[in-house]
Amino acid sequence: MKFYLRRIAFYIITVWAAVSLNFVLPRMMPGDPAAIMIGKLRRASGGRQLSEEVIRSIYALLGADKNMSLWDQYLAYWGRLLQGDLGLSSTRYPYPVVELIANALPWTLFMVGTATVISFVLGIVGGAWVGWKRGTWLDQLVPATSLLQSIPYFWLALVLVAVFAVQLGWLPIVGAYDPFDFPSGPEWSWEFVASALQHAFLPALTIVISSVGGWLLGMRNMMVSTMSEDYVLTAEAKGLKPSRIRDRYAARNASIPSLAGFSIALAFVVAGSIVTEQVFSYPGIGKLMIQSVQGLDYTLMQGVFLVITLTVLAANFLMDLLYGLIDPRVRNDL
Amino acid sequence: MNRTLKAAAAAAAIALTLAGCTSPSKSPTATGSPAGTSTAIKESTLRVWAGSTTPITIDFNPFHVDTALYGTYGQLYEPLFFFNQLSSDPPVPMLGESYTYSADGKTITLKLKSGVKWNDGQPFTADDVVFTMGYGPNKTDKLISAKATDDTTVVLTYKTAQFTNESQLLGATMMVPKHIWSKIDNYMKETNKEPVSTGAYVVKTTSDASYTLSANPNYRAPVPITNVQFLGIDSNQSGQDLLTTGQIDWTGMFIANPDEVTASGAIGTMNQQQDPTTIVTCSDASKGCKGDQTDVAVRQAINVAIDRSQLAEKAWVNLVGKANPAFVLLPRDAQWLSDQSLAESPQTADAAKAGQILETAGYTKDAKGFYGKNGKAISLDLFSPDGWTDYNDAAKLIAEQAGKAGIKITPRTVSEAEYWTPVTNGDFQLAMYGLTQSIVADPFSNYDQYFNGLSTAKVGDGPTRGQNYSRYSNATVDAAIEAAGATNDQATKKAAYAKIQAQIAVDLPYIPVVLNASQAFFNVKNFTGWPSDDNLYADPLPYLSVAPAIVLLNLRPAQ
Repeated sequence: MKFYLRRIAFYIITVWAAVSLNFVLPRMMPGDPAAIMIGKLRRASGGRQLSEEVIRSIYALLGADKNMSLWDQYLAYWGRLLQGDLGLSSTRYPYPVVELIANALPWTLFMVGTATVISFVLGIVGGAWVGWKRGTWLDQLVPATSLLQSIPYFWLALVLVAVFAVQLGWLPIVGAYDPFDFPSGPEWSWEFVASALQHAFLPALTIVISSVGGWLLGMRNMMVSTMSEDYVLTAEAKGLKPSRIRDRYAARNASIPSLAGFSIALAFVVAGSIVTEQVFSYPGIGKLMIQSVQGLDYTLMQGVFLVITLTVLAANFLMDLLYGLIDPRVRNDL
Repeated sequence: MNRTLKAAAAAAAIALTLAGCTSPSKSPTATGSPAGTSTAIKESTLRVWAGSTTPITIDFNPFHVDTALYGTYGQLYEPLFFFNQLSSDPPVPMLGESYTYSADGKTITLKLKSGVKWNDGQPFTADDVVFTMGYGPNKTDKLISAKATDDTTVVLTYKTAQFTNESQLLGATMMVPKHIWSKIDNYMKETNKEPVSTGAYVVKTTSDASYTLSANPNYRAPVPITNVQFLGIDSNQSGQDLLTTGQIDWTGMFIANPDEVTASGAIGTMNQQQDPTTIVTCSDASKGCKGDQTDVAVRQAINVAIDRSQLAEKAWVNLVGKANPAFVLLPRDAQWLSDQSLAESPQTADAAKAGQILETAGYTKDAKGFYGKNGKAISLDLFSPDGWTDYNDAAKLIAEQAGKAGIKITPRTVSEAEYWTPVTNGDFQLAMYGLTQSIVADPFSNYDQYFNGLSTAKVGDGPTRGQNYSRYSNATVDAAIEAAGATNDQATKKAAYAKIQAQIAVDLPYIPVVLNASQAFFNVKNFTGWPSDDNLYADPLPYLSVAPAIVLLNLRPAQ
């Protein structure tokens, strides 16, 4: 019990630090959002003088209150945060940041999440198999997948689009679903799910191709070293079936380090895959992040970073708890 | 990155640029009403990528000049008249019928079309125009009174002559219904998802990936294209792919090899060269500018040292037009060019002449071959936003070319965010910079926006009106701009422009480079009636204001 309490206390402090950092960072950056927004409006209106009224209303909505002390601002920030208010985006003004993130998150979880899981499963199963059959032609799979991983991702994605989407026309070029068939947006129907799957296929494929090599290599090497362990020899001596030794003895133990890596990978799913989402116009978190940075949209940036930080922490927390459960040594040593 | 974004920002600016023009008391009839077709209109959908990126956030508020969706200006909300930036023809009536200026330019009498209805069925009347002219950002202390003398007549009275505000007031002020907007207390916070407007289209469906406008059944003329779907796409490459595979019908973006797209014959293209690309210099030391470019001789030397034909070929694959130091758009504004020698900036490099200019000004060549004064070589910094590849390439070439003439320029790229702040505040030496061409056949707004001393500010501050980031301030120019703005007399105006042109072509606060290319691509197989070089009834760039609405009304689905 003491272990869990300690972990929980540790995470509470970490969350507090992360959220506070998120408060401080935009305030250290040059320029305030209201001034940036007014500058943009000024250019967009072709140099026409902005009326006092416009300037006042923008300051009221986006500007930091100059009469408030930093401490009061900090308290107000926590107050808003606990109510789920992350402010208004300036690039997509006057849309609330929470709404933008809530719309983008499911797509990222769906596409990048599925791709990460597929890549992991393929890598682990393939790695176990290649490791089991070490010394055969299957070993060639390791350099082959590593080669795929080393291809610049951007280039790989563009080539796949050019071949499968543009020339052969098998798969859609952009988006998360077909805007021509579903002009009013997502709906709950089989046709829509089919369209979403079809649209996720190519971006997910590029993620799998470029990440499976790492899992495969790690798993294969762990498999080889596990198989020289004494307990595997014992199992063989007992006359167990080779498939049982492979699955229950070697692969199970060899996959533990990969599992730890997987939890981190899953946490980073939330950050999206910036390049994938950009190339395929996929409406996820990664794209929000890149847009917010390009447009100096501090509130959106803050919101996206907060969500990413909190998910990474949550994933780590869960993994910590699970580790404690799986491995009693962790609980006692700490 | 996305070149269309840049163009789109400029487009909004174009639509709202101040400009001057002659005022016709009678105007030609509206384009776009099909001649006596009484048969029912077939359902058709035209798909556009005007430059929206995903996720699309629904916003049809005409006062959100920066974030309103494409289609808000023209297709939904209409101005009184359409000013075609490609021609010097008089403006085309939209909600207005005709207008007259008083001799002193301070009173405008507007005649409106009768029988026009808002798409909620309420009649559009002179009261709505009066309301719009005094509402929100349209409010100005220059307006003394706006009066509806009857249901279709409005008289606007101003403190100063409004000749040069013609296209702004009549062509870029979108009419909004009084019965809706008078009840909205904060128009900046409004996203106006169900716009009540007069245009040919109404909003049909919206999502985060696209939005569709459909024909307004109450519109005063038949609407031949019944649905227009606007898509959100995030990269030019994707836009080009969707265009070549026939999934989008209309777009405006830079494509370096347009022949590849048009080869199949299904896609037509048009390339307009209008907006000057320049090297903006922080030119006035008395305003706080620092660096060698504050010496006019250095600017003049750079002007002759650069090889514009090489720049056009290498940075812009010869799609761009030739710039001129008078900042008039030729041949459209030919009548305003005072001196034929200013019709074109030098197209080839002349290092000898550059050297001569510098030597006359007291510069000498050092051992390394660079010019300098008092033992200090000229050293200039030239920056452009990272990812605007044409600007980046041009900057590199300019530095090379200037180097050959003994002028040291160091090119550098910065993020887009880091680009605007120094340009606005005057904290720079040289920057690649695009000017927005005047929307009407009169260069007034070019001079007023970019060269007027009133349009600038001291280094450290941003200008409150205009976009004179060069900090240029010249009493002769300022006086001539004021004189030109106060008159409607061609000869007086031309004399004023002659003074301006003579000054700015010598002072070169903006060193003209090329005229930027704006390419439009459209599906000629499924739709007919697109603008062509012989029939430039509207600019076919889908991201502009108003012009796309005129184009849509002129299109027909192919049989």
